[in-house]
Amino acid sequence: MNFKQQLLIQLNAMKTFLNCPSIIHDPPHVLEDIIHGHPMPPKHFGLDIDHDGIAWITFDSPKSSANVWNEETLREFNHLLETIEHDTRVRALVLRSAKDRIFIAGADIKAIRSMQHVRVNDLIWLGQAVFDRLARLRMPKIAAIHGACMGGGLEVTLACDWRIASDHESTKIGLPETQLGILPAWGGSTRLSRIIGVRKALDLITTGKLLNASAAKRAGLVSHVVPAERLEMIARRLAHEKRPGLRFRFENLFSPVIGYLAKRKVLEKTRGLYPSVTKAVEVVTHSVHGEIESGLLRERNAVAELIQSRDSARLIDLFFKREEANKHPAPVGTALPILDATVIGAGVMGAGIAHTLASRGIRVLMTDVTNDSLARGLERIHGLVSDATRRRLVTKVQARDTLDRISTTHVPVPLNRHHLVIEAATESMELKKKIFADLAARVSADTILATNTSALSVSDLAKTVPNPERVIGLHFFNPVHRMPLVEIITLPETSPDVLATVVSFVQKIGKTPVVVKDSPGFLVNRILVPYLMEAVRLHESGIPVKDIDEAMLEFGMPMGPMRLLDEIGLDVAAHVAKTLASAFPDRFPHTDALDKMVSAGHLGKKTGQGFYRYENGKELTTTNHSDLPRHESIQTNLALLISQEAMRCLKEGIARNADDIDLAMVLGTGYPPFRGGPITFARDTGIIDY
Amino acid sequence: MKTPSLVIIAAARTPFSRAGTDLAHLDAVELGRHAVSALLSRTGIDPMLVDETIFGCVGQPPEAMNIARVIALRAGLPESKPAMTVHRNCASGLEALTLAHAKMCAGQGEVFVVGGTESMSNMPFYFSRPAVEKFTAMNRARDFTGRAKAALHFRPADFAPVIGLKLGLTDPVSSLNMGQTAEVLSREFGITRDMQDAFAMRSHLCATQANHLLDQEIAPVFSHHLVATDNGIRADSSLEKLGKLKPLFDTVTGTVTAGNSSQITDGAVALLVATEEAAAAHNWKPLGRLVSYAATGCDPARMGLGPVRALDAALHRSGWKLDDADVFEINEAFAAQVLAVMKCLADPASARRAGLEAPLGEIDPAKINACGGAIALGHPVGATGARLVQTALNQLHATDSKCAVISLCVGGGQGMAACLEAL
Repeated sequence: MNFKQQLLIQLNAMKTFLNCPSIIHDPPHVLEDIIHGHPMPPKHFGLDIDHDGIAWITFDSPKSSANVWNEETLREFNHLLETIEHDTRVRALVLRSAKDRIFIAGADIKAIRSMQHVRVNDLIWLGQAVFDRLARLRMPKIAAIHGACMGGGLEVTLACDWRIASDHESTKIGLPETQLGILPAWGGSTRLSRIIGVRKALDLITTGKLLNASAAKRAGLVSHVVPAERLEMIARRLAHEKRPGLRFRFENLFSPVIGYLAKRKVLEKTRGLYPSVTKAVEVVTHSVHGEIESGLLRERNAVAELIQSRDSARLIDLFFKREEANKHPAPVGTALPILDATVIGAGVMGAGIAHTLASRGIRVLMTDVTNDSLARGLERIHGLVSDATRRRLVTKVQARDTLDRISTTHVPVPLNRHHLVIEAATESMELKKKIFADLAARVSADTILATNTSALSVSDLAKTVPNPERVIGLHFFNPVHRMPLVEIITLPETSPDVLATVVSFVQKIGKTPVVVKDSPGFLVNRILVPYLMEAVRLHESGIPVKDIDEAMLEFGMPMGPMRLLDEIGLDVAAHVAKTLASAFPDRFPHTDALDKMVSAGHLGKKTGQGFYRYENGKELTTTNHSDLPRHESIQTNLALLISQEAMRCLKEGIARNADDIDLAMVLGTGYPPFRGGPITFARDTGIIDY
Repeated sequence: MKTPSLVIIAAARTPFSRAGTDLAHLDAVELGRHAVSALLSRTGIDPMLVDETIFGCVGQPPEAMNIARVIALRAGLPESKPAMTVHRNCASGLEALTLAHAKMCAGQGEVFVVGGTESMSNMPFYFSRPAVEKFTAMNRARDFTGRAKAALHFRPADFAPVIGLKLGLTDPVSSLNMGQTAEVLSREFGITRDMQDAFAMRSHLCATQANHLLDQEIAPVFSHHLVATDNGIRADSSLEKLGKLKPLFDTVTGTVTAGNSSQITDGAVALLVATEEAAAAHNWKPLGRLVSYAATGCDPARMGLGPVRALDAALHRSGWKLDDADVFEINEAFAAQVLAVMKCLADPASARRAGLEAPLGEIDPAKINACGGAIALGHPVGATGARLVQTALNQLHATDSKCAVISLCVGGGQGMAACLEAL
């Protein structure tokens, strides 16, 4: 060793000590930059190597509230990893985000959607390579998760040794890819089962559910849950510890069996209509053991196939439509915050609405005419709350707060302080008019009066009150806490501020609003009725109930039309059908079968006899007909009716656009999401001429 | 400066339920929350207007120290508005009201939610001091053998609970329990068992008759089932049935039984009160006005006589004569005690023994507790004071009369009284 070299080493040691950039390691930087054409400092990341030798990588995309993975961010991240690999000072790596509520939201789906398939495949390669490079780094790697950590966001952390999470409510961790018709392909399907075991991995990946921090800890996905301000402290502590090896997972030995059972269950549930889920089960269970590379290869092959399918494109489109509806304010008007509301009526809908509102922080006054009906309503709410607590959807404190926010009264009380009154009384125009007239006298002039009718005319109601510009329809679906859709029914006179306020209110309570015009049946029920009536007519013409239902289940509906009628109640269905038939004469399939059954007292599930027979609310098994060719013709027939009526609604301007109609049908009736909605389905299949 | 006058705007209470029955699984917080929440929805006022919440509670649950604050927050009053708990034993519910007045006079607020809450079903059981020491020793032990050794020191008697309710109802100075103080009065003032039983029966029958009036006070509670009425009232009460009960506190010669004492009960009351100016400014229509009030002290062993001098003082401050009042609500801690108070008000010799220079006069028995009292409705100790205000004002409005006087005897040797006027 000559003198010059010795000097260089000493100089370098000194500079390391003084926390200056090392000169010895400078050349590779330059080299790398030249090779990869990355002379610029990273735009999306900050790299900070501290005196402890910890490299803090902070993901912070400029001018955006979210961090996402795309070609640019992946390349920059790769470059950072390269820098770290060549910097001997670095002995640990921490990945974190500078965003308020988002760690990494996943891949940039918007970009992917508009990419050519070849480029998508390249991107998958790139992601796998970069995350694999991270996994191979010989130093403790810690992901400090604060905020949403989804899809590719979680996959990068799986390449780390530790995941620690903040206990903030915005911290949500999961792999929702299968919900978009694809699967985790940046190592998620391969690495997750090795970390948390194959059963939990399958559960997370196939359902796409998001875990909060404590659930993630229970699942073994994160090791520490601490306040956001303490993440740095824990990360620093872990950086000094030995890298943990992967725990031996006994259950993983049985992955073929677990995979077989999981696949069978999935097929039973989805009827093979969601290939991404089936594929994900295959990839996950095959990649539990062996080389990571072979798992990554399986992921690539599977995702390349899935991403080309129309189903995936439709699911991704729908995801964006829903995001749009959930986040975007009404185009005009100023939204006022609503902190408390009155719900008139403590029946199934009234209690359901009161519960949903209260669980989202709104103080609710629930009224009804007798104490007994209030008691029944409260009992229902108590049931919903304790059910949610048992299923760990809410904590005990949240459950208590929900109940605390609900007060009741059976005597008229002053309501002039409340900004929103939602009437959810029995479906009778007489009664509703009476309630509205009474309300008008007790509320202030600008209180928004909403009605939760499913079929009655909102404009008729509006006529009964002074200042009709504050009247609006809020059509919740049953069961309220489960159904994500709320139809907002506007009148020509509805003021923009009222609409804006109601749209933001619906978004605030976690539902998806779809704005429609006042017209018989509004949107969802109107589209549903011809479909249901045709199903009844088909049955009348001799097709067994089971065949009709089976056909539509194969189409992807969550429930066959006959069973749906039984659930709704045949009397209710007949009533709605009649209202619509008189509003749109000669348009709907005509049938007397419903009336006959209603007059015979067969009202569906509630009376034990409808199209099916029930005992104690359980269906009695019926013989299983199966006639596949017939299924197809039933499917085409019924699906066509849905799409036709949807097109009519579009032409009549009932909804603002085709996207809203598609979204409403998917969220309100469970119309198969992978078909994109009735209008998209019509376009895709060409069953209706434009 | 003119002293602000306190007006009562509205009142709401839970049903009063015998301990261990309908409301037993709701704690004092839950009961108080229910009363306040009902008060807010009945009045429809903006909670932001409430300057402070003051609640009385005698047996504050250990998990809700400063129970008023817990109640206020859970009932939806804003975080920025303070809350405090007061304790004057059986008069705590009234003390909450009078303290609000004192605060108004001191310029410390104009609108208050006041009241009282008590869940006598949920009074805690304690361990004796020696048992606590053994538990502490066991917890301090470092290892299993140490803990096992410490555990060996326990004796069966250590596990006998100390009943909180019993402790609470015993005066620590005279070491007489409340029933025994009533026995003292029964002996000294010659109140016989028959007189007491007759008074008790009257309480039940009056409460039965006034059922519709009492039901108006109640905001029904829903828990498992609908609870909409007081459940202590016995419409079939008779001298014969009451006569069969055994004396509780002096089993040999005693006269005080469970039947002629107040019941042990769960319940809560909330009142919305404001200065007259504030009420007018918000266009609230008041039910009544607090004209005067007084708290006085007496011999702890004869705490039942507390109302005598308290009434005298309150009447003096209002400038009223005994006859001016149309409605009297004297809390029925014990029949013997109420009868002794009446005797002291009327009879010169007894009046002197109770500390009055001269008797105030005779009260028309029909005016006293016309809706029944604690013997029928029960006595949730922290809440009763506020209920007397509610019931008295209710009666004034129902009978279209003007003046009411309420009073309570207070464990520990005090009395409290207030004069109210209907508006």
